[in-house]
Amino acid sequence: MNIKPIVISLSLLLVGGSAFADDDCDDPVAGWQPRENLRKQLEAEGWTVFRIKVDDGCYEVKGRDPNGDRVEAEYSPATFELMEIEREDDDDDDDDHRGKSRNDSEPTNAERVPRKGIVKGRPSVTVE
Amino acid sequence: MKKFLFALGLTTAMALPAYAQAREVTFTTQLSDYGGDGAYLALYLTDDDGKYHGTLWIAGEKSKYYKHLRDWARGSGLSQAEYDGLTGASVTSGRTLKVTLELEDALIDSGYQVRVDTSVEDMRDNRADVVAPLTTEGSGKTVSGRGYVHSFVYTLK
Repeated sequence: MNIKPIVISLSLLLVGGSAFADDDCDDPVAGWQPRENLRKQLEAEGWTVFRIKVDDGCYEVKGRDPNGDRVEAEYSPATFELMEIEREDDDDDDDDHRGKSRNDSEPTNAERVPRKGIVKGRPSVTVE
Repeated sequence: MKKFLFALGLTTAMALPAYAQAREVTFTTQLSDYGGDGAYLALYLTDDDGKYHGTLWIAGEKSKYYKHLRDWARGSGLSQAEYDGLTGASVTSGRTLKVTLELEDALIDSGYQVRVDTSVEDMRDNRADVVAPLTTEGSGKTVSGRGYVHSFVYTLK
């Protein structure tokens, strides 16, 4: 029996934690700057900061950017380098009236966009 | 004998696409009482090396969090074409998600695995919380999860 693929996949599973974590931050905690510094820096750039929390080793900022758009951005905690930024206009918490992205996952739209996949049609799903 | 098997394998491989028939499969995933927010789950198929093959279901409505379903995210490239029409609500602690869908017969007993990646906000991400080979024999056999999944079972119809 050829166990090579099994060994490889098992070892990938083990090293996976760090090796594939692409947009995580891995600054050593000792080098982190206080999150208040990030808040001040962003506010100086015209941001409104709602919240800063730690996620995947990054500072995750929720707020409004200088253009007034709701954003969620991730910064490296040591250098305040921008890792990722996302506009939150698909966030159905606060702008439900658009309702666009929410409708994308409705069953009625399942056939609208051609999906390449292994599942035929629309699955039936229940949560008990 | 070897030649016979090879020939058999070859003819089966050639014949299968022609007779591609769908099979109804129900995947039942019961979550443990991990006591956090609703969990995001990715149910997907991989080959026996863990290489992504296709998406079955994504529980969790905000695509911006899909990257936390890590192995699935890497395999699918987070491409919307991979999961369009296959998403729904996240699953709360202790509850059971039942997904029934039609799968090509050719995917069963062909070395594919069902995998479940899970993630909960402010808690750790579990890649391959569940790994179960997709076989006729495995149908109805309960598998334990490593993370937020308490138990997982699929049944072939």
